[in-house]
Amino acid sequence: MKKFLKTLIPFDIAKGLSITGTYFAKVFLTANRAKVKQHVVSEYPEVPAPLEPRFRGRVQLILDEAGDPKCVCCNACAKACPTGVITIEGGKKEGRKTRIPTRWDYEMERCVFCGFCVEACSFDAIKLNSQFELAAYDREDFSLGLTGAHNVLEPSPVGKFSYSDEA
Amino acid sequence: MPTISLTQSLVISLIQCVLVVVFIFVVVPLTVFAERKVLGYLQQRLGSTRIAGHLGGLTGLLNRGMWKLGKVPVLSYWRGLPGLVGDVMKMLLKEDILPTKADKFVFWIAPALSFVASVVVFATICFVPGTFFTFPTWVPFLGGLPVSGGIADVNVGLLWILGMATVGVYGIVLAGWASNSKYPLLGGLRSAAQMVSYEVPLTLSLLAPVLISGSLKFSEMSQAMAVGVPLWAIIPQVIGFLIYLTCGFAETNRVPFDMPEAENELVAGFHTEYSGMKFGFFYLAEYVNMTVVSAMAAGFFLGGSWLLPFGLQGVVNPYLASLPSWLVTLLCEPHAAFFAIKIVFLLFVFIWVRGTIPRYRYDQIMAVAWKYLIPLTLVNLVLAAAVRLAM
Repeated sequence: MKKFLKTLIPFDIAKGLSITGTYFAKVFLTANRAKVKQHVVSEYPEVPAPLEPRFRGRVQLILDEAGDPKCVCCNACAKACPTGVITIEGGKKEGRKTRIPTRWDYEMERCVFCGFCVEACSFDAIKLNSQFELAAYDREDFSLGLTGAHNVLEPSPVGKFSYSDEA
Repeated sequence: MPTISLTQSLVISLIQCVLVVVFIFVVVPLTVFAERKVLGYLQQRLGSTRIAGHLGGLTGLLNRGMWKLGKVPVLSYWRGLPGLVGDVMKMLLKEDILPTKADKFVFWIAPALSFVASVVVFATICFVPGTFFTFPTWVPFLGGLPVSGGIADVNVGLLWILGMATVGVYGIVLAGWASNSKYPLLGGLRSAAQMVSYEVPLTLSLLAPVLISGSLKFSEMSQAMAVGVPLWAIIPQVIGFLIYLTCGFAETNRVPFDMPEAENELVAGFHTEYSGMKFGFFYLAEYVNMTVVSAMAAGFFLGGSWLLPFGLQGVVNPYLASLPSWLVTLLCEPHAAFFAIKIVFLLFVFIWVRGTIPRYRYDQIMAVAWKYLIPLTLVNLVLAAAVRLAM
């Protein structure tokens, strides 16, 4: 009898309609407001896509107070890297106790963005930043070094549309 | 009351036809647009917001500055609207492909049949009982003449509507058969079976208003159901409304009953082989059919051109009689605007249901019709008869 009544009176349909109706009302009333956002799919190229703090983007070196990379050229990251995209050569600098990289090459075209290099680093010298729009027309553009417009010390000039709350 | 010559009455009928066609062709494209937006909102998306490219096109032109300022454009709700123009242009300009083995004549006639059958139904639908408006005296030839709220509010209006709705099925079946291809044929035959099943509860659910109002004329039925019934008539009205709406979804081939065009099983169903404007006619016919079903549901169950649904208007009217006269005119008198608003709301319900309920399996559809809806309508008919007896 209970089952019969449940079939006869469309409770489940009403429940579903109320859920979608609530979504409709919420999104309809806030669609024009950038701050109070109820829709989960945003207008991506115009509105930057928010990313989670743990998002694994491109490899980037972390700098110390003096503006030099924290990297001490221990090669732990290069050994941990499953695809071998990191090549480091160390040198010396006046007034710095540890070594400083003179060459820090990163071949992004082979990188799998696994984050093992960050886990291997005991000096907190590497991070994976929040950039994912890294497409380029030339293979040379994926070879990043310490110098040049597209380098490992700062975010890539491409990829303007993504951001993360964690710097 | 001035006497009307034959020419004058013909011209007035023509004007009514134009008005109805304008109504249809304003509501239908807006429904197509609203379908995208409302479906988006129901699923926490934004629906269509641009026509093409990054910031190109007309909408881009309107909104580029606001995006530069870092703001979401004010025109947000309407940003996808120019896409409609693109749709229409695509339909008109696309190549019209005729399959080699198709039956040419039937292939051509099927979309026209489908479309005409759905539009013609509007002849007997009465937007407001009595006079819609009177021409001012300065209008040449037609000055001082009244224009009634329906084109041809004939005494057997309901019969006309149901008969014409059946002809619409014919268009779908013929399209499926004439394409000479297996998926359209399967879609068309499924459609035939589904429509045959659902026409029974649909008609039975409409018998309750016929029984209560004692008429087949659209305006009389609408009036009787809105203001001429006692309070307890609300029970058969609500049940009948729900059943009618369910059958209406099935008759218009909408989700959750879109068996004839189940995409994941039948490519696109009966219109798989159609392209260009022939497909456009099927597309239009679907939306015109939705409008027809909404208009009938609004007229028979939601109080037609009166404010309150389910016959509550007749109960409330005596209490409202002491209000100021302009409020009485607004709340107690019939207006075409109320009817139009109800149609638009029901069209929203169509989209709402589409965004909520997944498609039924084929045997489930048949079970719903024969095992649940028909017995329910019969019970509802008994209730309506009881109301009629007590009135």
